[in-house]
Amino acid sequence: MEIALEAEQLGKRYGKSWALRDCSLRLPAGRIAALVGPNGAGKSTLLHLAVGLLKPDAGTIRVFGQSPYDNPAVLPEIGFVAQDTPLYRDFTAAELVHLGGRMNRRWDAALARDRLGQLGIPPRLPVGKLSGGQRAQVALALALAKRPRLLLLDEPVASLDPLARREFLQSLMGSVAESETTVLLSSHLLADLERTCDHLIVLNAAQVRLTGAVDDLVAAHRQLVGPRHDGRPVGGVAAVVRASHTDRQSTLLVRVDGPVNDPAWTVHDVGLEDVVLAYLADDAQQNRHSEWEVPA
Amino acid sequence: MIWLTWRQHRRQAFFTLLGFAALAALMVPIGLSMRHSYAELGLAECARQLAATDVTPATREACDAGFYRFTNRYGDLNLLAVLLLALPVLVGLFWGAPLVAREVEQGTHRFAWTQGIPRSRWALTKFGLVGAAAVALAVCYGLGMSWWVEPLTRSAREGRFGLIVFDLQGVAPVGYTVFAVALGIFAGTVWKKMLPAMGITLAGFLGVRAAVAILARPHYQPARTLAFPIEGATETTLERGDWILAQGIRSADGAMVAEDSRIMCPPGGKGPDGRACGAELGLQPGAYNWQLYQPADRFWLFQGIETGIFVALAVLLLWLAVRRIRRIS
Repeated sequence: MEIALEAEQLGKRYGKSWALRDCSLRLPAGRIAALVGPNGAGKSTLLHLAVGLLKPDAGTIRVFGQSPYDNPAVLPEIGFVAQDTPLYRDFTAAELVHLGGRMNRRWDAALARDRLGQLGIPPRLPVGKLSGGQRAQVALALALAKRPRLLLLDEPVASLDPLARREFLQSLMGSVAESETTVLLSSHLLADLERTCDHLIVLNAAQVRLTGAVDDLVAAHRQLVGPRHDGRPVGGVAAVVRASHTDRQSTLLVRVDGPVNDPAWTVHDVGLEDVVLAYLADDAQQNRHSEWEVPA
Repeated sequence: MIWLTWRQHRRQAFFTLLGFAALAALMVPIGLSMRHSYAELGLAECARQLAATDVTPATREACDAGFYRFTNRYGDLNLLAVLLLALPVLVGLFWGAPLVAREVEQGTHRFAWTQGIPRSRWALTKFGLVGAAAVALAVCYGLGMSWWVEPLTRSAREGRFGLIVFDLQGVAPVGYTVFAVALGIFAGTVWKKMLPAMGITLAGFLGVRAAVAILARPHYQPARTLAFPIEGATETTLERGDWILAQGIRSADGAMVAEDSRIMCPPGGKGPDGRACGAELGLQPGAYNWQLYQPADRFWLFQGIETGIFVALAVLLLWLAVRRIRRIS
């Protein structure tokens, strides 16, 4: 199995604070992966490291086995759409397609023109005058025209309305389905990505909380409801991710390593969103409380 | 890359050329009229005669009158010349500062630097093309100003070494322009927003220019000293166009008696009270005029040194800018 993106103990620091720390993950080729986490979790930093805009301060990151920073051999393999889809706003879409041809050795201008034509994007209008959704489509078309093996999208739908969001994701999936392109797209909203992705990376507070194939993750987690839990180990439970208690009852979200047969607990299957929220919910809040000097 | 640079800057280039043409349309008629008057007053001939050692007092008087009339008519243009000093820094502000800062401010660097070519090549192509355009502009400006300002400098005592006219002509404007552009680019890689980068460029340019002009330029070469007697000295003793750094009157034993002054009396001339020339100022016999100066024929040497300093600073700044660009994400 080829690995498209691999990070080991990866870290990036801005001044004294770590934007990303001890980040280890592997993304097999051909996956469509969601990079999920709240704002400021380090998603953009990870993507910038992957596309070679940033140099790691610790650890390594590899794209198809090569370090991307300052490495001209990797750039043609990666299509990148940065946050807020920045484009030269006074250029027309046709000029941007032309520009891509000048700045890339491998460039499928016909693909970009076909896409933009199908989407009804006006070719002779400065892209600054297009709607946010149309501009995002132009940026995506330009990234796809590179025929990249790895496509990185940083919050591509954050500024779009729900309809444009769905259209954008549909057209993205339509175009990568036939190719072998590996896709990694970030969002702070899981709901955007749940239907489209088969791999998940959860970042929170500069660290990777969870990573793996969606099916495996869903299969490995259960919700247990039962009498108030006193911390004793439960058979078949590898770890308690999140626990909430009332006076008489506990609700646990757990990672399992076998069947849970304890009759005291009622076992429910969980959705992906519950799992992600459980991993996101815990420590960020703790930190905020201590920063405000109030009890948690 | 060349296409991108052209496409991004063509409007800017158009407006710059338009501004340049408008400036030329204003300056050329003034320059022609200045040269016309200069010829009409016979000042070219005067300048040649005054340079010779044996000038008759009548010629001197006629020529001085001519220079006086010329200066009266056109002296105010020196103020205009001060304004023209600002042109190189304008190029730095509007061509240099936005080069990186606008890309980063609008986020488009993430688009440009993730295409197929490495960003060091992006940087070198852009710096090279914009720098070449700036040099071409500056050469035209330097040549044009040399032509325009020539009558003014010829009629001025300090000649081409004057604090403002030296900076306007020759090759020095090329150095200033290249430096301004490089400073703008570098400021943009540090502050990454257009307005702060432009502000820093303006402040930095003025600071460095003033420091070099005031502190460094007088010392490019060891200055010469000239001593000449109070009595019997004439204007011919002094070369027109020398850059006088300091002058004064010294007593016979060399002590400075009166700074920033000069006395010239005809041979055997007496002061107002009938005593020896200068006696009413307390000067003892043997006192002499003294000056520290850079001779006029060092003009091109000084131009070369000045340009070299600014070009070297520009190269340093561009090198730092390329280094910084590698760390911008």
